[in-house]
Amino acid sequence: MIDEELVQLLTPEGERVENSEYESTLNGDEIFGFYRDMVIMRRLDNESTSLQRQGQLALWAPMQGQEAAQIGAGRALAPMDFTFPTYREHGIAWCRGVPPENMLRLFRAVSNGGWDPQKYRHSVPTVVLGSQTLHAVGYAMGIQRDGAEEAAMAFFGDGASSQGDVLEAFVWAASFNAPVVFFCQNNQWGISTPSTVQSKIPLYHRAHGFGFPGVRVDGNDVLAVYEVSKRALDSARVGGGPTLIEAYTYRIGAHTTSDDPTRYRIDAEVEVWKHRDPVERVKALLVREYKVKNADFDAVAAEADTMALKLREDVLAMSRPDPITMFDDAYAAPHPLIEEGRREMIDLGISGGQL
Amino acid sequence: MSEEIFLLPDVGEGLTEAEIVTWKVQVGDVVTLNQPLVDIETAKATVELPSPYAGTVVALHGNVGDVLEVHKPLITFDVGGAGGAPAEATSAPAPAKEASDKQEGSVGEGREAVLIGYGVANEDAVVTRKHRRQGATPAAAPVAPPVVASEPVVTSPSVAPRSTPPVRLYAKQNGVDISSLTGTGRDGLITRVDVEQAVGGAPTAPRAPRVSAPITGPNTTSRFVGRELESWASGPKEERIPVKGVLRSMAEAMVQSAFTQPRAAVWVRVDATRTMELVASLKQQPNLGDLRLSPLTIIALAVCDAARHFPGINSSFDAAANEVIVRRNVNLGIAANTPRGLIVPNIKGADQLDLVGMASALQVLVDKAREGTTTPNDMIGTTLSITNVGPFGVDAAIPILPPGTGAILAVGQIAKAPWVVDDQVVVRQVVELAMAFDHRQVDGAMASAVLSHIGRFLHDPAAAIIAG
Amino acid sequence: MATTTMTMAKALNEGLRRAMDKNPKVLLMGEDIGRLGGVFRITDGLQKDFGEDRVVDSPLAESAIVGTAVGLAIRGYRTVCEIQFDGFVYPAFDQIVSQVAKLHKRSDGAYVMAMVIRIPFQGGIGAIEHHSESPEPYFAQTAGLRVVSPSTPNDAYWMIQQSIEHDDPVIFCEPKSRYWEKGEVDLETPPAGLFDALVRREGTDVTLVGYGASMKTALRAAETAAVEGTSIEVIDARSIAPLDIEVMAKSLEKTGRVVVVQESPHTASIGSEIISELTQRCFYSLKAPGLRVSGYHVPYPPTRIEEDYRPTVDRILDAVDRVMGFES
Repeated sequence: MIDEELVQLLTPEGERVENSEYESTLNGDEIFGFYRDMVIMRRLDNESTSLQRQGQLALWAPMQGQEAAQIGAGRALAPMDFTFPTYREHGIAWCRGVPPENMLRLFRAVSNGGWDPQKYRHSVPTVVLGSQTLHAVGYAMGIQRDGAEEAAMAFFGDGASSQGDVLEAFVWAASFNAPVVFFCQNNQWGISTPSTVQSKIPLYHRAHGFGFPGVRVDGNDVLAVYEVSKRALDSARVGGGPTLIEAYTYRIGAHTTSDDPTRYRIDAEVEVWKHRDPVERVKALLVREYKVKNADFDAVAAEADTMALKLREDVLAMSRPDPITMFDDAYAAPHPLIEEGRREMIDLGISGGQL
Repeated sequence: MSEEIFLLPDVGEGLTEAEIVTWKVQVGDVVTLNQPLVDIETAKATVELPSPYAGTVVALHGNVGDVLEVHKPLITFDVGGAGGAPAEATSAPAPAKEASDKQEGSVGEGREAVLIGYGVANEDAVVTRKHRRQGATPAAAPVAPPVVASEPVVTSPSVAPRSTPPVRLYAKQNGVDISSLTGTGRDGLITRVDVEQAVGGAPTAPRAPRVSAPITGPNTTSRFVGRELESWASGPKEERIPVKGVLRSMAEAMVQSAFTQPRAAVWVRVDATRTMELVASLKQQPNLGDLRLSPLTIIALAVCDAARHFPGINSSFDAAANEVIVRRNVNLGIAANTPRGLIVPNIKGADQLDLVGMASALQVLVDKAREGTTTPNDMIGTTLSITNVGPFGVDAAIPILPPGTGAILAVGQIAKAPWVVDDQVVVRQVVELAMAFDHRQVDGAMASAVLSHIGRFLHDPAAAIIAG
Repeated sequence: MATTTMTMAKALNEGLRRAMDKNPKVLLMGEDIGRLGGVFRITDGLQKDFGEDRVVDSPLAESAIVGTAVGLAIRGYRTVCEIQFDGFVYPAFDQIVSQVAKLHKRSDGAYVMAMVIRIPFQGGIGAIEHHSESPEPYFAQTAGLRVVSPSTPNDAYWMIQQSIEHDDPVIFCEPKSRYWEKGEVDLETPPAGLFDALVRREGTDVTLVGYGASMKTALRAAETAAVEGTSIEVIDARSIAPLDIEVMAKSLEKTGRVVVVQESPHTASIGSEIISELTQRCFYSLKAPGLRVSGYHVPYPPTRIEEDYRPTVDRILDAVDRVMGFES
């Protein structure tokens, strides 16, 4: 159930509410921009699910329902900040400028990464849960030593929050006052495990135990997520240390396309959350307050469709890599076993994609 | 009309088949991209499949309730008539890919569905064997040192002879020093055949020679009087060769002998089977592993043994002093056909040597002769000699006595021949022995006794050695 | 030529110092390495000279030591992580094999995982459990990592610097039983490349390969064997992954016999890999099969009996006798 301490600025019906700690600093254009981001992400998500169902992707991890949590955080980042995702942060990747087809390379199983993390300042996907939180903290320690006004943001879910690495990251972040924001999307489910099994107390309370602030925000309210994230990031950048943000949201879809949620949760629960849809509430706000026209919404939908078609084309064009590429970048410096392996593959005629 | 077939995909549920639950389209329907087509039931859940194409449904490949296998046709679409497609926003024609491209891209082909990922690859689908390219060497293959074809492989001190463990064992068991062999295998590898040839070489040449002409072997080359003779076709009609060096020595010795030593000969055929058997069995002895044993070793022992029994044979006629000198010390000459010509170096004190000693001494003598390191001292003082004509492929010879010696034994080839044993005709290893002797001091009776003794020794060498 | 005598511990200290002087991006991180100078004093004095930002006393969590080093590497720093004892590396094992080893590849070369993970390893100090392990085979098996082990103070001095400069992650295995042994250190010229094996003693009858603490035992075995008339060529592998197999192969082509000595159990060990590779390359030179002299396939025993677990001169010479005894 939703805690009273939840930060919310926009109700599911699209009406603004007051909050003692935060207020919205966004204008109409910016909010419309967030709407567009969320619609495009939802469309990307749906198209990817279809592609998987059509045998074009090995797997897809849907983010449906979590659009506001990701766009709100993603748009609060400064260009030089560095983000450390799991494998579901397609919305963050979008905000960092990662092209949609690059996001799908992992799921198409042609890459274990998919994009240049240094270029986009968005790390490669991390499938071992929680590992990336330590990477974020280490990166933040590097920021400190450089004396830069930058922050690292680590993303993880309610399930991962039980991992030792995450808790060790909290220890380090607190002990070294690292400029890192921990962003936990509590989407209520770790595959079939409800978040109440992961933690006996609201997740954001953990931060207090480790010695830094924690805040719970309505993860379906993009206005609130933006403000909470911005404040945490601004603080981190100027030496305020870490913050734990718990974005309280819901995983509308399955854990991945291989999962069947009907096995462990009831449809009624999903229906309840569908009424808290992040996109609909922003649309209502835009109509009521900013008089946005249907044509504008339609244009966004069309743009999303165009993106989806291009994504489909790009994915279908992703062909099986030449097997010899498995040797590329296994090591930074020359290595005898790499040379041996390449030679063997050529000698056996494997290289060239023939089989 | 351009057709695309949508194969039932693996939807990542570990399924190999699915049941059609509900069709959401029918033949003739015009569908848009991603439009829901059908609900299928897998082992774990009901899954809705969206259309991968925009086009017209041409065929549905199953009825409600049918169970279809994964990767089998589910629906056929007509996508070519793009003009007939409805003008909905999402109805952009499906990417115009060839079916093969799609299959390649779909990576569903040949895979069993599993929970996470594309599924287990169906290894049965891979039918062709890939062979290594011609000339490609596996990365970690043993690398051979470069070999210059015309020269024997010289083992440098830092690389041991190259062979395989089983062949090494075989060589050791047969008393072959593997480092002395020239490998005929790839890149100079010493093979089992190389070792076998070394083991089963000519009786008096147990080791594969390094130089082209065998030391006491048949003169199969064009060598004559210590040089290479030009062929009949290429040489001059009349060729004059100066008499020098070894040629001169040989001629002078033969002349001297012929005109000063009246020579007679006796000969006998002997069943030497047991000598051959003894030699073969001794070669198996581990402690005699390095020794080059051959019938010549036994023959040398036999000659010395005969001298001990009949000292008179080990004598010389000193015309100047008008005395016959009997010596009780055998310097055993072995006629050696070297590239330089015929020489007869001797083993000093051969009568003192036992089997191992004799074999070693013969080895040394033969090596020196082959290498051309025989010293003048090696060639003086001969008392008795052996000449082995067997390798030349003849049965016997009447040799000329080296001057100052009492007798010379010629040994023919040891070959299988019919023999009478216990009134039965059997196959035995038979050899012909001929002994020429200086008839000034040695008479026929003594010569015959000596030759018979030698013959009996060869007939039963073990008994003779023990009695000796 | 400037040479001096120092212990391996001091040599490591000096090497770290020199590396930190040379490159301001070099950091040290680990438990008790700052104020205490490390439980083996390897980092003694370094925090005083380079400050707390560069010599970090970390909280007690090995996974975090390595995981934050990953983040620092992304940011361009070269962290030398200290794992206090071999038996405690396992909490960091996931970060090492799932992240450190794979991020260069996962990022298509964008991330350079330039870091060193120092692990005091092997036994012989009479410690309690978990302080005498040989985890190097796990890391040697993992593509993306490199694994090295110095056996002398001179090697320690140079190899730690070379490891820090290398762009791949290096698991740096320090034979803790040798920390206090002295040796000549050449302060100007490195003895070899980081991944080179070295012939420590020439010989003709048997090739004996080892690394880390086993080297001293191997050399003693060679001396004893020489008295008995057997000439052993002793090779210090130095680099466990990748192996400098060429040096070993050249020796085996000369001797025809190889014995590998290691403290880890023989099962799926470095010795297994060495012999497998050498057999493939030098089959025609073999006079005997390769043999391993290893720890037994048991958890490391209580150290009162560790000397019967760790390879001894006798056990090495027994293996030498056996290879010499094969028919060839």
